Amino acid sequence: MRDPPNFNAGLVWWSATPVQPLFRCPWGSEVAHAGRRGPRLSAEARVRHDGSNGQVVRPVALPVVPGATLGVVANPMSGRDIRRLVAQASVFPNAEKTNMALRLVSAAGATGVARVLMSTDAMGVAGGVLRARDKRRPGDPRWPELEFVELDAITGTAEDTRELVRRMAALGASVIVLLGGDGTVRAAAAASGDVPLLPLSTGTNNAFPEMWEATVAGTAAGLLATGRVPAADATYRAKALHVAAGPVHELALVDVCVSTVAHVGSRALWQPATLRELYCAFAEPHAIGLSSIAGLLHPAGRTAPDGVVVHLAGAEHAPRTVLAPIAPGVVAPIGVRHAAPLVAAQPHPVQLDRGTVAVDGEREIEFGPATPVTVTLAPDGPRVLDVRGVLAAAAQRRLLDPSAATAGS
Amino acid sequence: MTGTLPTPTSQELTPDRLLDAYRVMRTIRDFEERVHEEFAGGDIPGFVHLYAGEEASAAGVCAHLDDRDAIASTHRGHGHCIAKGVDITGMMAEIYGKTTGSCRGKGGSMHIADLSKGMLGANGIVGGGPPLICGRALASKHKADGGVAVAFFGDGASNQGTTLESLNLATIWNLPAIFVAENNGYAEATSSSWSVASDDIADRAAAFGMPGVIVDGFDFFAVHEAAGEAIARAREGGGPTLIEVKFTRYFGHFEGDQQLYRGAEVADARERLDCLKRFRARVTDAGQLTDAQLDQIDSEVASSVDAAVEAAKAAPKPGADDLLTDVYVSY
Amino acid sequence: MARTITYREAINEALAQEMERDERVIVMGEDNAGGEGSPGEADAWGGVLGVTKGLYGRFPGRVLDTPISESAFIGAAIGAATGGMRPVAELMFIDFMGVCFDQIFNQAAKFRYMFGGKAVTPVVIRTMWGAGLRAAAQHSQSLLSVFTHVPGLKVAAPSNAYDAKGLMIQAIRDDDPVIFAEHKMLYDTSADVPEESYAIPFGEANVVREGGDVTIVAIGRMVHTALEAAEELAGSGVQAEIVDPRTTSPLDVDTILESVEATGRLVVVDEANPRCSLATDVAATVAQDAFGSLRAPIQLVTGPHTPVPFADALEDLYIPDAGRIAGAVKKVVDYGG
Repeated sequence: MRDPPNFNAGLVWWSATPVQPLFRCPWGSEVAHAGRRGPRLSAEARVRHDGSNGQVVRPVALPVVPGATLGVVANPMSGRDIRRLVAQASVFPNAEKTNMALRLVSAAGATGVARVLMSTDAMGVAGGVLRARDKRRPGDPRWPELEFVELDAITGTAEDTRELVRRMAALGASVIVLLGGDGTVRAAAAASGDVPLLPLSTGTNNAFPEMWEATVAGTAAGLLATGRVPAADATYRAKALHVAAGPVHELALVDVCVSTVAHVGSRALWQPATLRELYCAFAEPHAIGLSSIAGLLHPAGRTAPDGVVVHLAGAEHAPRTVLAPIAPGVVAPIGVRHAAPLVAAQPHPVQLDRGTVAVDGEREIEFGPATPVTVTLAPDGPRVLDVRGVLAAAAQRRLLDPSAATAGS
Repeated sequence: MTGTLPTPTSQELTPDRLLDAYRVMRTIRDFEERVHEEFAGGDIPGFVHLYAGEEASAAGVCAHLDDRDAIASTHRGHGHCIAKGVDITGMMAEIYGKTTGSCRGKGGSMHIADLSKGMLGANGIVGGGPPLICGRALASKHKADGGVAVAFFGDGASNQGTTLESLNLATIWNLPAIFVAENNGYAEATSSSWSVASDDIADRAAAFGMPGVIVDGFDFFAVHEAAGEAIARAREGGGPTLIEVKFTRYFGHFEGDQQLYRGAEVADARERLDCLKRFRARVTDAGQLTDAQLDQIDSEVASSVDAAVEAAKAAPKPGADDLLTDVYVSY
Repeated sequence: MARTITYREAINEALAQEMERDERVIVMGEDNAGGEGSPGEADAWGGVLGVTKGLYGRFPGRVLDTPISESAFIGAAIGAATGGMRPVAELMFIDFMGVCFDQIFNQAAKFRYMFGGKAVTPVVIRTMWGAGLRAAAQHSQSLLSVFTHVPGLKVAAPSNAYDAKGLMIQAIRDDDPVIFAEHKMLYDTSADVPEESYAIPFGEANVVREGGDVTIVAIGRMVHTALEAAEELAGSGVQAEIVDPRTTSPLDVDTILESVEATGRLVVVDEANPRCSLATDVAATVAQDAFGSLRAPIQLVTGPHTPVPFADALEDLYIPDAGRIAGAVKKVVDYGG
């Protein structure tokens, strides 16, 4: 058994000895492997994998494509969203991220992925995946080889995400699945280049990631990683909003909101009376978060060339009002002065002279008269896996028939 | 709850309030740095546990409190005392064990209290505060005075049964209680990432039916905002909240601790993350306060700490008569 | 106007009268009403042995059921006391003190002293003590001496319904933390108890029986056992004086010393375990302060140095009986000739 990875000196439960499985079978491991794995089958019904009793051998997964690699980056940070206090933001424990990672790995195994690169962290997400791997027994469904990508130092910031994505790209990942909110996607987008990302919604601030069950997402990612659906058919390039505030430059994938709130503080924006300008790379009517304001007035798709710009006012003074789901559990009246298409490549100067700029729902930049702020839409966001498209193609081309598939095709 | 948002906290940070906040944090910092020096000189008896580095938590929370509100603290209680308005001259004298101390020299650093200000005392028992806070919140509820009670406790206490029981009790009795878990990464010499099974203390909140959130403890504004929401909700009968503040302490568990268990995080924090530096940069960049105003506070605070130390050193120690008094109201 | 009521009823009446008089008095404990959140009756129990029955309905919002979280709710009672309430919290069995002892002995007991005289903690913690119910080792102890040992606490342990009412009223009005220990075998005993409200001061012993030959100091249920022994002894011409301290902290040492100075002989009866107990406390105090009056060594009649056994035959051997007390008296009377 290889040495356990050194995740972090602070993760004290690692020791020099091989990791013991967390669950100890009370009957002893020999007995556990021997007759307890399922109902007893009669000799006639029992299928032998070598086909020696003459039965048809049906494969239970797609053939492995050597080198096909998929990455999983799980952001272990959670619980920092003040909307857990002021609205009904979800509580998303790290144990659930571990479960999602395991579902991804299972699906990757079923679709013939050779290797999964897993992010490491000091908060137990990767630890949970490792424990699950070590509890596996012969006869369990095939898993890809799991490789844990270590960082030289865990900073606990977005830099960890960026570095993990860089390393996974360098190690040959054909797609990287992200478990985290908008902040995770933004960080990954800064480092992913042409490697497609598949953001899965966890945590609260999830305007960019779409809601996909992890097993389904893993199936789609596996089809891309093994080349069964070509990248051109499986991905699209997202738009991005570039915010320049003096020397500071930030990237948003969904929306940029300028508000009168003076300080970054606890980051989330939830007070309608303070919102002034909203720039959206795309705006879907079914979104949760600030972009729903635009989505309910002037929808713009993820792949359409334009975005949307909305000028806001207090609900009492505005010519029109829209009830928008701006935070979990909150549908609030938002006053709108003006909504219009946001054309790419045109820098828009922010009109408010003092306040904060929120990027994808989180206040990031404090500005005053000395720092003029501009917002520009561009088509240079990350490549994103189109789950719906991939699985539609898989259905049409019967890609998920294990007996029809041949290795390497 | 669709359609209604909580009204934004009334605690808008006006320049005056910003000045007050800075004064509180600067007073805590100078007080603790000075105690650190004086302790090394050998004049201070017993144990002291210093709060330097953690000022934003006490200041950010206590900015929303008044005299009808109660707080319970820990053995690392000087910061909470100062933020709640306890007089530093009495505090310093108490630390020196003098009869002019807040507790007449009979409590010491770990038991400084001022019940007239709702400060239920620093506490030498880890986890001793949360049950008391449930009681004060119950009393406020009973008296319907709109008061709240805040329990400051550490990552060590977050594993203590008393704390967990109190979280449960506060929810089932719907108490106006706020639990502030100050996670500075160490319970004595043991890392909290090891000792806290859920990794984040805030994750425990859901298990006890209350909202929980993590806040950057080096950022006064983040603490102020989260605490403001929690306190406003509690005052309106919305029940308890758990706020986990993450930061680091600049000194050891106690004065004299060699801190061999630590890495280089203190130097980095003092340089990059320090709450006073960040506060100054933010408010001056935003044009809300000037460096001159803040420098003025720095110099006033430095003088007041000097005066407190001088007064403490000059004050008399309690005498034999004081030994037997104040055990009971009447016996 | 006095009438005969039980020890249980007397405590209930004390609580009710004080709750009527002072709206700051609240009651809390496990099943002190009994039924919180359940589909049946609220106030289904009124306390595990019915002491608080009826208060829930009479004083809405002032009788609180608690979860089984002694640290939290005993601590909450203490905290509420510092905030101007006068809570009466129930620590159901004195045996449970282990799970909440810190809040009692490190917090409540020490606030006044540690905070330089500025704290007032008027909390009453009611608790059941004593063997005889076949409740076994963890529900039968007599741990009053542990609380008595702690400066800052007061401890009351009434032996009869009359004292129970008066001491409870005093406990609630007292501004210090009070442990009010109710002997579980005395709940059904009766005495003449005035209807009106009255308070018995702490630190005042009751001379239950006068006699010139020996002083018996006894507490709780043992007061009754001592009376039984005294009847037996009277038959052989020995007149025993029985002193019931009523409160172990403060302890009325003067009355005990006065009695020993008159009789010259002391037997202390305490059903608790013998080491570091009330019995040893009284014996040492008398030996130090009234040595010259003693005509015989002091005799202690206590439980053994064992946990309380379950089997009725064993528990009956554990608890001191009248015969053992009479035997100890005979020893001191017969001493030296």
